[in-house]
Amino acid sequence: MLIPRRVKHRKQHHPDRHGASKGGNAIAFGEYGIQALEPAYVTNRQIESARIAMTRHIKRGGKVWINIYPDRPLTKKPAETRMGSGKGSPEWWIANVKPGRVMFELSGVEEQVAREAMRRAIHKLPMKCKFIVRDGVNG
Amino acid sequence: MAEVRIVAESRTEFGKGAARRVRRDHKVPAVLYGHGNDPRHITLPGHDLMLALKVKNALLTLEIAGADELAIPKDIQRDPIRGTIEHVDLLVVRRGEKVKVNVALHVIGQAVPDSLVVSELNAVEVECEATHIPTGFEVDITGRAIGTQILAKDIALPAGTELVTDPEALVVNITGAQTEAEAEAEMAEAEAEAGIVHEAPDAAAPAEALPGAE
Repeated sequence: MLIPRRVKHRKQHHPDRHGASKGGNAIAFGEYGIQALEPAYVTNRQIESARIAMTRHIKRGGKVWINIYPDRPLTKKPAETRMGSGKGSPEWWIANVKPGRVMFELSGVEEQVAREAMRRAIHKLPMKCKFIVRDGVNG
Repeated sequence: MAEVRIVAESRTEFGKGAARRVRRDHKVPAVLYGHGNDPRHITLPGHDLMLALKVKNALLTLEIAGADELAIPKDIQRDPIRGTIEHVDLLVVRRGEKVKVNVALHVIGQAVPDSLVVSELNAVEVECEATHIPTGFEVDITGRAIGTQILAKDIALPAGTELVTDPEALVVNITGAQTEAEAEAEMAEAEAEAGIVHEAPDAAAPAEALPGAE
């Protein structure tokens, strides 16, 4: 699973969830992609789960790119704890994804296979997404 | 390539407020520059422009205040989610003039079985006449063996078109795909790490778990 090897600060504030993605809005490497339509915190487990769902479907022959990285820690206070006493302990690693961001890319397979693989991967993600095709693919 | 005639209007209002008013009227703000002249700010009809720009590097004949101007799109800004055109940069060209443009590559055919085809370049930069810009180049990979690398210099260009991209740039790389056993082993390892457990097949389910079973 994707986890940063070393971080400057163990606990961070919650990342900003407003606005659209400034970059990474187009397919850069592959032929097909999954584009986020809503803002969300995507955990490293969700990224891995989506990758497994996609790779399981294409079986072999395709290539997958992951364009997001879970580099932000989120903390959680233990259950039934009184307020105060400092910030909770790090619980998740998340990627802060904003609308427009192309999170996964795929190439080397037919469009029908890519569409189904990415449909399965989208079910593992916490926001609305859409399947996109690079300009010029299939004519 | 066919020329598309579009009637443009001069634009006198600038800034995001004016640009949004233009877009609300189903028009697109644009700028026209080139040949050392001052840039001209214009407004184009949204639907006509959208249809014209469906063809890459489309040659546009702009009718501005009664005078015709030949132009090609230099940069197109689109809404990343809706795909609507927000602004266009247009470059003034003349007949017979050579321009540098990016032309899309289309990979066609099937390589040998058990191969993985990865397109490293989706477009190449070429220099050609503004009135004869190719719409795309085909890269045929039919029957190509594993280990084949197709470089930019291998692309067949029409007469009068010169390659600007580095001729040694890798365009398509054909490598061997993972074997089924390798893919399965990698998946099993990833699933074990993620804690994913597959459900047992129905036949293995205990009979007493079913309602009505004795």
